[in-house]
Amino acid sequence: MPPALAAPSKRALPLKEAGLFREVLTLYETRQLKKGLKAADTILKKFPEHGETLCMRGLILTHMGRREEGIEHVKKGVRFDLTSHIVWHVFGLIQKGQKNYEEALKSYTQALRFDKDNINILRDAAHLQTQLRQYEHLVETRHTLLQLRPSLRQNWMALAVAYHLNGNLADAKKNVPDYDFEQSETLLYHVRLLEELGETSDALALLDVNAKSRVIVDRVSIMEIRARLISKLGMTDEAEQAWRTLIQHNPDGLDYYRGLLRCKGIDLEALTDSTRAEALHILRELSEQFPRADKPTRLSLTVAEGDEFTELARAYILRGLTKGVPSLFADVKSLYASPSKQSTIESIVDGFRTTLADGGSLSADAASGSAAAREAPTTYLWTLYFLAQHHSARGAHVHALELLDTALVHTPTLPELHTFRGRVLKRAGDPYGAARALDAARLLDGQDRFLNTKSAKYRLRAGEIEEAQEVFGMFTKKDAASPGADLEDMQSLLYLTEEGNAHRRNGKLNLALKKYHAIQKVFAEIEDDQFDFHGYSIRKFIINSYIDMVEWEDRLRSHPSYISTALSASRIYVSVHDDPTIATACTSSGTLHLPSIRLSVLTLPRHPGTLTESEKKAKKKASKKAAQKLADDVKKAASSTGSDDKGLDVPTPKDDDPDGIKLLTGPEPLERAWKFLLPLTTLAKDNIDVWIAVYDVAVRRGKYLQAARALKHAKKLDEQHPELHVRLLHFRKAHAALTSPLPEPPMHNTCNSTPLLLLRSSLAARGLHVLERPREEVEDAVFGVLNPGVELTVPTALEVFALLKELGSSRADEFRAACDASFQLATVFKTQEEMAAVKKVVALGVQDMEKEVVE
Amino acid sequence: MNVRPARVDDLMGMQACNLQNLPENYTMKYYLYHALTWPSLSYVAEDEKGRIVGYILAKMEEDTAENEEPHGHVTSISVLRSYRRLGLAKKLMVQSQESMAAIYKASYVSLHVRKSNRAALGLYRDTLGFSVHDIEKKYCASVSQLSSPIPVPPILHPLRCRRQQLKLITDASVSTTDADGEDAYAMRLKLNP
Repeated sequence: MPPALAAPSKRALPLKEAGLFREVLTLYETRQLKKGLKAADTILKKFPEHGETLCMRGLILTHMGRREEGIEHVKKGVRFDLTSHIVWHVFGLIQKGQKNYEEALKSYTQALRFDKDNINILRDAAHLQTQLRQYEHLVETRHTLLQLRPSLRQNWMALAVAYHLNGNLADAKKNVPDYDFEQSETLLYHVRLLEELGETSDALALLDVNAKSRVIVDRVSIMEIRARLISKLGMTDEAEQAWRTLIQHNPDGLDYYRGLLRCKGIDLEALTDSTRAEALHILRELSEQFPRADKPTRLSLTVAEGDEFTELARAYILRGLTKGVPSLFADVKSLYASPSKQSTIESIVDGFRTTLADGGSLSADAASGSAAAREAPTTYLWTLYFLAQHHSARGAHVHALELLDTALVHTPTLPELHTFRGRVLKRAGDPYGAARALDAARLLDGQDRFLNTKSAKYRLRAGEIEEAQEVFGMFTKKDAASPGADLEDMQSLLYLTEEGNAHRRNGKLNLALKKYHAIQKVFAEIEDDQFDFHGYSIRKFIINSYIDMVEWEDRLRSHPSYISTALSASRIYVSVHDDPTIATACTSSGTLHLPSIRLSVLTLPRHPGTLTESEKKAKKKASKKAAQKLADDVKKAASSTGSDDKGLDVPTPKDDDPDGIKLLTGPEPLERAWKFLLPLTTLAKDNIDVWIAVYDVAVRRGKYLQAARALKHAKKLDEQHPELHVRLLHFRKAHAALTSPLPEPPMHNTCNSTPLLLLRSSLAARGLHVLERPREEVEDAVFGVLNPGVELTVPTALEVFALLKELGSSRADEFRAACDASFQLATVFKTQEEMAAVKKVVALGVQDMEKEVVE
Repeated sequence: MNVRPARVDDLMGMQACNLQNLPENYTMKYYLYHALTWPSLSYVAEDEKGRIVGYILAKMEEDTAENEEPHGHVTSISVLRSYRRLGLAKKLMVQSQESMAAIYKASYVSLHVRKSNRAALGLYRDTLGFSVHDIEKKYCASVSQLSSPIPVPPILHPLRCRRQQLKLITDASVSTTDADGEDAYAMRLKLNP
């Protein structure tokens, strides 16, 4: 039992011990840990209940790596002296080391109650308030600090930043330290504030004066801001000059061209005949002025039409092919939004191919019969490469492969040809052949990590996880536990996402979850990274990029890797909730196919009100445990500098669940799914898949209002979305089963009557399945995708196939065979025996290559 | 491709590009450290969809002696293989160098490259005009111990800075604990004032 409030008299030490205690503080500050410990022990021998000394001893022990013992001491110390600012400060430090920022801030607040003007504590508290986005309190704290030390310039800046983060730009402006204009960055921050406040002329004046006097030294920033400001002010002539200066400085800066054209009244997104001509004129001049820059010429292609386009495109493409620019197709592909431009490009490049195949020349003076104008053989090669990409993009995979084969006969050693061959095979449904093509590319240049990464990724796509690790391992650190462990340490989202997905496709859901949680951890680390900058940036007076960072951290989880893996993880958790046997099947051994979310077999959860008291308690305990686990996961090791000081950060705990079994079989899968999804409800509001996933989790958690809202959001985004259709049917069913009245769900008016688009019949089938229609009816709907006129793709066909297997349909194999016949390049629809034969043949080819490389 | 100054938003794209291309990789905090200390020295090249296809991550050397002239340092530069032959590396380098000279009065720029990395060596020497200044033996193998009574946590080293945490306690300290001990060329390029 904690003792009652310790009387302050207990804190006072006799003269000798008081001196010793001061020494403890100094020894700690200078990290003379052993001496500090000894001094503390001397005090405690006489006064074993001296709270402040106990805390200091605990703090020192923690630094020495004796963490548990240390924390025990600190807690005891706090109990013995609840009114000392030292004990609360120490407790706060410990909690901060555990990255428990909420609790740390509480302790600091306590400490400040007993020593309200302590600058160190105030400053630490400010950092915690920033991390926790408690901006109102942050303003107060920064205010206090400024009052205590008004002569310190950084305190003025810190208050300005606090106002800024709290959304009060006007007060931020007032507090930018204005008596010391030496700092270029400070001034640039001041200019930014004025610009954001809409005080454009003031911003320009401040910028101009200080640019002229060379107080602001960042020339590019000056030019960029200036061009922007005077454009806003409508000073057209000067703006034009400013944008031209920027183009001169960096002729590859797209924004500068946009700025220039805009101030000439040209909007690239909405061209008229007259602005088109003017834009082309300007761009032509610029491309003559900067012949090394691609940008003006490339922009002309976007702008030009008709014959003018043909002429420009011909020159641009020819230049790229002659130089051997591998990205040429990717570069011009966006022009394909216009069908006429697409066909023009096709006929230009096809013309090149015919001429080159006949040994002709493409340059203009070829017509005069000059013999010097012979093309380099590589031009032909890049022409074939371009055409293969062109045809693959429009779905003509066989033709693309023919072109690549011709090119490979011409030059077998260009890795790009193999890489793209792999891509075509991947698109056509042959992940295995694709992986072998990438092996071939990699073997041609073993020093190139780009080819290595691509090759490993393709192996993962083909489900060859161990084989992929082997490839990754050629570039990862040799003393790492495994190639994967190294890539995880280096925060490789590509690796984590691809391997997680590969495990998922292989039916190893536990391992998939392991990777998805690792991604969640990476994002938590990056979120935590900002902490040190709350103090650092203000000390350095580099504020603009600091403010950018704070705002970026707030939307960190809108990153595509987070979104896609959060959705995948959530789907796994939902399927495990619906059918716990999936988890046991995964963990026993062998592979199985993950059924898509089984809406039909869903047992509706009881209304939350029906939970018994003990159930509630158990639930709470479990979710608390999960939260703790997560917090533990996030903690990272402090680096050891070789000294006794181990710091205050909690070291990484040993991973007691390397295979993710606990993740998959643990309690509360829905709560864990929800943790993944929660940030997306604000950061990915425009993604319909997010709302579908939110619905799936919410309805199972008995959060019907939340579920209904999710459907409403989804409906606003795409009323016709097939997945939404299935959910609406499901919700209607769930709704009918409820006893307590709920608001009307947003009903889909077409759910039973209107026939869905054929392409979506697989999902229609799932809808029918939800409605518990006879299996034959569902199967008929599914086979609709095979009707002529339906542009069935490999991924959709795979989805349908999975659905049939999930239903236990006797016609699954019939469907597989039909797909195998219609997708001629695909191997994913082969039987296992057929696949084994294919693998043998392809593997032999690669073995030959490997031998050649070795020799 | 669009070449422009790097923003905080670009850092994850730069990290992805680096991991795909080069064997020397860094955690996000090191990228943040660059962006928040030398905000104008790093540049990116992006494709039409805004994907980062090349970058230069640069800084000013912190570890300079008393009378030494300030100089810039390229921590990392790379362009995705599929975006080569556009001269992007050179364009990125030129932009960064101009800012180093204009803002920080850098007199030269340095970088390190492992002896075995022939492709990179060709780029730096032949395309970008660097020359070998020195050979650093087992470049990363040493652990520099600081004599200061307050232990200074390591700031990540440009070459191989894995698994280390960056602490922003002092702004000028470098030590590495992690190494594979390969020799490296220290290269330099003089900048025009």
